[in-house]
Amino acid sequence: MKREKTKSHFIGLRVTKKQKEVLSKIQEKSDLSKTDILLKGLEILDEYYSLGLDRPPLSYELKELEEEAMHHSEELKRIRRREESIREMVQELRDIDEVIDKHQGDKSALIQILLEIQSRNHWLPKPALMWVSERLNVPMSQILHIATFYKAFSLKPRGKHLVRVCLGTACHVRGGQRILEEAERVLGIKAGETTPDHRFTLESVNCLGCCALGPVMIVDDEYHGKLAPSKIGKILSNHT
Amino acid sequence: MERITLEIDGKKVKAEEGMTLLQAAESIGVEIPTLCHHEDLEPYGACRLCTVEIIKSERTRLVAACCYPVENGLIVKTDSERVNKIRKMILELLLPLAPTGPLMTLATKYGLCEYVKKSEEESEWKVKEFRFPAEEPTYCTLCGLCVRYCAEVTKENVIGFIGRGIDRQVALVPGKCCISCRECESICEGGKFMDKFVSLLEL
Amino acid sequence: MGKIKSASELSKLRQKILSKRDPKKPCITICSGTGCHAYASEKVSNAFQEELKKQKLEKAVDIKRTGCHGFCEKGPIVVIYPKEICYLQVKPEDVTDIVSQTIKEGKIVGRLLYTDPHTNEKIVHESEIPFYKHQKRLIFGNNRKIDPKNIEDYIALGGYKALAKVLFELTPKQVLEEVKKASLRGRGGGGFPAGRKWETTRNANGEPKYVIVNCDEGDPGAYMDRSLMEGNPHSILEGFIIGAYAIGSHEGFIYVRQEYPLAVENTEIAIHQAEEYGLLGEDIIGSGFGFNVKIHRGAGAFVSGESSALVSAIEGKVGEPKPKYIHTAVKGLWGKPTCLNNVETWANVPFIIDNGAEWFKSLGTSNSKGTKIFSLVGKVNNTGLVEVPMGMSLREIIYDIGGGIPNGKKLKAVQTGGPSGGVIPKSLIDTPVDFDELAKLDSMMGSGGMIVMDTDTCMVDIARYFVKFLSEESCGKCVPCREGLRHMLRLLNNITSGKGNAGDIERLEELSEFTRDASLCALGTTAPNPVLSTLKYFRNEYEAHINEKRCPASVCRELIAYYIDPEKCQACGICTKNCPTGAISGKKGIVHVIDQKKCIKCGACIDVCPERFGAIEKISGESIPLVPKSMKVKSIR
Repeated sequence: MKREKTKSHFIGLRVTKKQKEVLSKIQEKSDLSKTDILLKGLEILDEYYSLGLDRPPLSYELKELEEEAMHHSEELKRIRRREESIREMVQELRDIDEVIDKHQGDKSALIQILLEIQSRNHWLPKPALMWVSERLNVPMSQILHIATFYKAFSLKPRGKHLVRVCLGTACHVRGGQRILEEAERVLGIKAGETTPDHRFTLESVNCLGCCALGPVMIVDDEYHGKLAPSKIGKILSNHT
Repeated sequence: MERITLEIDGKKVKAEEGMTLLQAAESIGVEIPTLCHHEDLEPYGACRLCTVEIIKSERTRLVAACCYPVENGLIVKTDSERVNKIRKMILELLLPLAPTGPLMTLATKYGLCEYVKKSEEESEWKVKEFRFPAEEPTYCTLCGLCVRYCAEVTKENVIGFIGRGIDRQVALVPGKCCISCRECESICEGGKFMDKFVSLLEL
Repeated sequence: MGKIKSASELSKLRQKILSKRDPKKPCITICSGTGCHAYASEKVSNAFQEELKKQKLEKAVDIKRTGCHGFCEKGPIVVIYPKEICYLQVKPEDVTDIVSQTIKEGKIVGRLLYTDPHTNEKIVHESEIPFYKHQKRLIFGNNRKIDPKNIEDYIALGGYKALAKVLFELTPKQVLEEVKKASLRGRGGGGFPAGRKWETTRNANGEPKYVIVNCDEGDPGAYMDRSLMEGNPHSILEGFIIGAYAIGSHEGFIYVRQEYPLAVENTEIAIHQAEEYGLLGEDIIGSGFGFNVKIHRGAGAFVSGESSALVSAIEGKVGEPKPKYIHTAVKGLWGKPTCLNNVETWANVPFIIDNGAEWFKSLGTSNSKGTKIFSLVGKVNNTGLVEVPMGMSLREIIYDIGGGIPNGKKLKAVQTGGPSGGVIPKSLIDTPVDFDELAKLDSMMGSGGMIVMDTDTCMVDIARYFVKFLSEESCGKCVPCREGLRHMLRLLNNITSGKGNAGDIERLEELSEFTRDASLCALGTTAPNPVLSTLKYFRNEYEAHINEKRCPASVCRELIAYYIDPEKCQACGICTKNCPTGAISGKKGIVHVIDQKKCIKCGACIDVCPERFGAIEKISGESIPLVPKSMKVKSIR
């Protein structure tokens, strides 16, 4: 078996120039660490040599190596993602525990606890509700009734920006309905819905208490008063 | 237990403290129609079919008999014109949502439908035209019997209410294991559970 | 800061605070309620801070962020003491002028003063502005002098004096008698005598007893409670503790709407500070009386403001009403006697104790004593929160305080009492605000919302608006409310969209009577009021919608058409540019025409048509006149 002269280096190890080319290409295409690639790559090459084959044609080498590396890379990614989501879940449960303990696990603080979870996550994920049901010993049916009864709660993820149009009587009298319709038209969704790209959630509210400014629309914490429908497109396009 | 005297439909009744008007009426054989009432469950007062007229200190009020506690000197009218008007309207509003046997039987008394004999063996329900039609019958009157039974008696809490107002519905709680006692099926008057046990809305 | 352990310690503290404050020292107060905050009052406050620093005046001049001043139309409001110079609609760019001219040189910045719209007279002092002059700001007045995040401001004004008097000089029964004598009626809508409610709770069987502040102000257009809670939380706390003492309760809850984050924040700070100073918690002012308060937030449901629903919500259950045949005063929270009162009701209590029931009774009418705070909003010039003695007429409130109707329009009606109330037509505008007088007209005082409507308002649309609101807020438990409102909304939607039929009005009335009689809670029983009230005074509008397919106020979309008057159009083209559907066609010099098939009636064109042309109008109930193609414009001078 002839081995080529190892004149190149790959993370400090001496490899042939061709081997370095292959290994670098693989590294570009995956996010495996150099060591992983090297080990895997050399392993595959060794297999070929052990089978008595002279070094395999380069293109073949590359393709196979690439595929193997990709496969391993995907596996690793999947494992890392699962780890990450488990870590996130554990952290979420810990966060919920923190909220529940702040209220001393008192059943009557259920709505307060849900409000805090909603404001942290911008929605109420089902696992979170199940955990609250466990810890407070309150039936899930009651929690779901509360979560669907009140406007503050959302069982679906909300958009990055919360757009609220006031439909209080004073704003209505000053044309609040037109503002809502224009917002619906501009965003392409109805009140209560979220845009497909999760940028905006549109809602109507009953009286923000700024009746002198009517008609009013707030985007997150920014108030926009004395609105005309023509101004809405511009206001919304300012929010990415 | 203190004894309380009141008058129902002109008859004097002796009742015990803590009894409701519905129970007091039952004790002297006066039947008040109900929908959401069940003897094993806490009074709910949602269907309002049991509305009765009461006169207390010369003031007339309309109250739900299943919830109102007996009081001394109360005068109760369970069958007045005002009360029957209300009951008729309730049925008129519920029938399009749940055109089923139990409700129709109740509705015949108010002239809203009749049980007609088609032939020797066959009879069918004939309903007068709905003044307040529903888009589609949901077969649920939202009386809450199923929800309350599952919560208070079997204590499994597998079904519950979701939403509010006209979006209020009965739904199956996801992830819960039902013990298949089928009590909800037998208690349902709206027909939701007849042959549709599994097809409840899943969240 | 050690806890205050006696009434004399409290007086001494008050003296100490006052002695440290120089009434002659200039102080810039900036209104920081949610309303002015929406106008960026925080930017103004920061600008002042920076400017004073720049001019090296931070030590010589105080800045105070106060509670809501009430004149919300003209915010942000800045008042400079000690001269009480009032500047309106202040922007951050105005700050340099104010500091340089008013603070340093004592000169007045004329352009920021209030200008009387009739006489063009400029008014310098806040209390002389007509909006304020005609009010009697007993409860609300202190908002402008207090930084709600600083308890010492409240103490300096005499706060907690009433509490000390109650704890050390009066027995609970004496306090109860005083409040009963004052004839204080609930300010949340029901108007029930507060003293009697307190007495029922006190005498009911069961311990512990609870007290609740209801700040779930849900009426759209009403925000009095919010401004009080944000601007002067201690006044409510003080009344609350006094009430708890009279009733014999040691645990209280303040239920605040989720939509009021600033009110929650300021109340939390107030509770914390009151506890620090020994004015709340165990052994208040060393009297031995203990009382603890917890805040409970709502989550977005109007119906949860109803007392049995509120109690359910505090218990952690769904905030749905229960058939209330036993009052919450007898059986409330966890089955125990619970006294629930509105924010404004509690805020009246320290005044009654400080000044006596007789003084309180000297204000108001025979059946409605004291003052009431209203939110005067809608089509009125001076929008804001006003406090007037009971008995003042609606005319005085709308014209003398409110400054009349803007844009030269005429008054049509006033809506009071929110979704449970009704409309009062122009012909009855001299009615005094009084619980019973308003009820006689089939409306009600309610929590204090007062929506002014001009002739451009369609009363059928208003009825539809309220029924829609209530059908969305109904809990849905009982048939009359849920189904009744559902079908009433359907009928009103049909009527306002031109699909009304003969017999619809009668059906509406039938459903209204049914819902009013048979509903489980007050949301349902009062839900038909807007419909019945508008039918009573404006039946002709309903009939026009149904029989003529015409909306007299030209509001209902499906019954109106936008029309460009060829006599007035000058082909400026502004409307074409602003039309979102490209429905307007026309060239230079040619009268523009609206294609009715493309028009979505958004009203953008009528908004932008220059006032001097005024060529676009709304027509209803008639066919649109044909305009000859390519008609040339008529030139105007």
